[in-house]
Amino acid sequence: MHPVIPTSVEEVRDALARQHYVADRSLAVVIHLALELGRPLFLEGEAGVGKTEVAKVLAATTGEELIRLQCYEGLDVAQALYEWDYARQMLAIRLLEARHDAGGTEIRDIMSMEYLVARPLLQAIQAGAGGRRPVLLIDELDRADEEFEAYLLELLSDFQVTIPEVATIKAVEPPIVVITSNRTREIHDALKRRCLYHWIEYPTFEREVAILREKAPGISEDLARQLAGAMQRLRDLELFKPPGVAETLDWAAALQVLGHTELTAPVMDDTIGVVLKYEEDVARIREGGVEHVLESA
Amino acid sequence: MTESFSANLVHFVRYLRARGLSVVPATARDLATAIGVVGLDRRDDVYAALRSLSVVRPTEMQAFDDAFEMFFGTGQVRRGEREGTEVTARTRRPAETTRTAVPILTPGHTDAADEPEEDVTEITGGTYTERLSHRDFRDLSIDEQEEVRKLIARMVWRPADAPSRRWAGTKGGSRPDLRRTFRNAVRPEGDLLPLAMANRKMRKRPLVVIADVSGSMERYTEMFLHFVHAAQGRLGRVESFVFATRLSRITRQMRIKLPEVALSQVSYAVKDWAGGTRIGEALEAFNCEWSRRVTRGGAIGLLISDGWDTGDPALLDREMRRFARSVHRVVWLNPLAGRPGFAPETRGMRAAMPYVDDFLAAGRLTDLRAVVRLLETVGTRPAARPVPHSGAAAASGA
Repeated sequence: MHPVIPTSVEEVRDALARQHYVADRSLAVVIHLALELGRPLFLEGEAGVGKTEVAKVLAATTGEELIRLQCYEGLDVAQALYEWDYARQMLAIRLLEARHDAGGTEIRDIMSMEYLVARPLLQAIQAGAGGRRPVLLIDELDRADEEFEAYLLELLSDFQVTIPEVATIKAVEPPIVVITSNRTREIHDALKRRCLYHWIEYPTFEREVAILREKAPGISEDLARQLAGAMQRLRDLELFKPPGVAETLDWAAALQVLGHTELTAPVMDDTIGVVLKYEEDVARIREGGVEHVLESA
Repeated sequence: MTESFSANLVHFVRYLRARGLSVVPATARDLATAIGVVGLDRRDDVYAALRSLSVVRPTEMQAFDDAFEMFFGTGQVRRGEREGTEVTARTRRPAETTRTAVPILTPGHTDAADEPEEDVTEITGGTYTERLSHRDFRDLSIDEQEEVRKLIARMVWRPADAPSRRWAGTKGGSRPDLRRTFRNAVRPEGDLLPLAMANRKMRKRPLVVIADVSGSMERYTEMFLHFVHAAQGRLGRVESFVFATRLSRITRQMRIKLPEVALSQVSYAVKDWAGGTRIGEALEAFNCEWSRRVTRGGAIGLLISDGWDTGDPALLDREMRRFARSVHRVVWLNPLAGRPGFAPETRGMRAAMPYVDDFLAAGRLTDLRAVVRLLETVGTRPAARPVPHSGAAAASGA
């Protein structure tokens, strides 16, 4: 099937479903708006609810390239936008020297596109300048420093980059931008205002069963319902780190590998480490008895 | 779209603004565009579309839902928009009108923020202030309290820098700055390549304050809040919390410039003044909900409490261990510690002490000055903590 940009809420939903992404309608509406208005999509939510997945699914749906920028503390323009290829520049200088013509005009050539290493943001804008519309994923923006946020604000408002030594590059069509944040700190309002904001909730019981049926087709309907029920109860327990959908899928995969077809107390006790990642949380569940999490599942 | 509908969106945005959302007038136009895209056929689509352009944090969802219900409640746009805006004006909550709130001023009030900063060393020259600064807060008369408050507001803060992960060009830096080196090489006659260098940029360490406002702290609470307010004004990145039986975040209120207004807003916001003390539970709430958000970048954790804890010491031990792991340094201020014969022997203090790097008295102005000095000299590496038992030693990774 030929990949296209979906043009209605229903089409977005269907396209996501074809990529095995079970979205609630409000997310489909917001994605549809982002595609139509050319605005970045700002997704927040607890870890493991499928924020990053949205970008991957969008890239697969539109058949465009996924360009990913993973944020971290200290991320700067050289890592996010562009950097010069110093080793090649050095070689070029040596070569010119050897030919004894290291004069004015030629040495300027080492400051051209040829010696530039494009990082994700520039790659996205270059692709946009070439008429394509790639999916730019700016993942976990909350990990980057505020200085970087300010820079991004500028970039997202006009989708152009000026490289002082070379030129200004502008995207014809804005890339499809997906920004995710785990909310380890507040992102500045001004940046969020440029975007369409969507908070991804933990799925309801029914949707989590649907996700399991979609992403873990090997397990039975009964087991899917058991797992989803246990997850809902775990999330109600005020744990230090409540498990996300990613953990649900890991759990399903673990049970499959171990050949379990039912979630019983001993099975849960053996595999709890797949779901809970803090020793305190595991201790708490074991203390209260794993049966409570399984109750009426 | 009809004209009245557009007008309605304008009112909708105004209403959201009055309810504390950070929408701007231009948002109304965005909302109209969005409705143009999703259409008016389905109410849930309109809801999702408008929400994505109005809300920027989960805590705003409730206010948005209420507003949406009010304007689009029946699936149709309500006609009486004017009514809506009037209701807004009346139902504004006090917490949202902080900027226009009339301060409750004490008689001898002066605007400390407008006064020039005075260096601590100069202030200590005077004999009256000298005497004042060595008196316990609870023994001060009302006039003397006012004087001490002013002195607190005028303390000079020079917090320690910590290296950030970003780099900036400097002569004699520790790493070559190739970008600058090569840019310099493009200059005419650039046949030599002098190596430009870079160092890590420095930035101020964030400060996280968690203050006990329970009954046993009552006579000190106001002074400490003044102290925290002064810190907030000087240090920038300060997050502040208070607790008795439960934790409340007061950072927003503390950002108000006038200390009297800030403190009166805090008293609005905090529900359990002078209750019992549950340090362990307060710390647990902090560790679960806030720690990951506010301790980044090597924060200094400042705990203010007399340690009269009525909670479970095992819980306090666990939560202190977690807290100590997530901050650069744990500083504990105890107003009782300066008294003769004091030893940290309360149940709570005993549970917490193994995780405390610096334990300071805080009952007098001179004590608070020592705290400010400490914050200036806090090193770039964590202090060696006394090791309580194997679990914590492994966890701190020091």
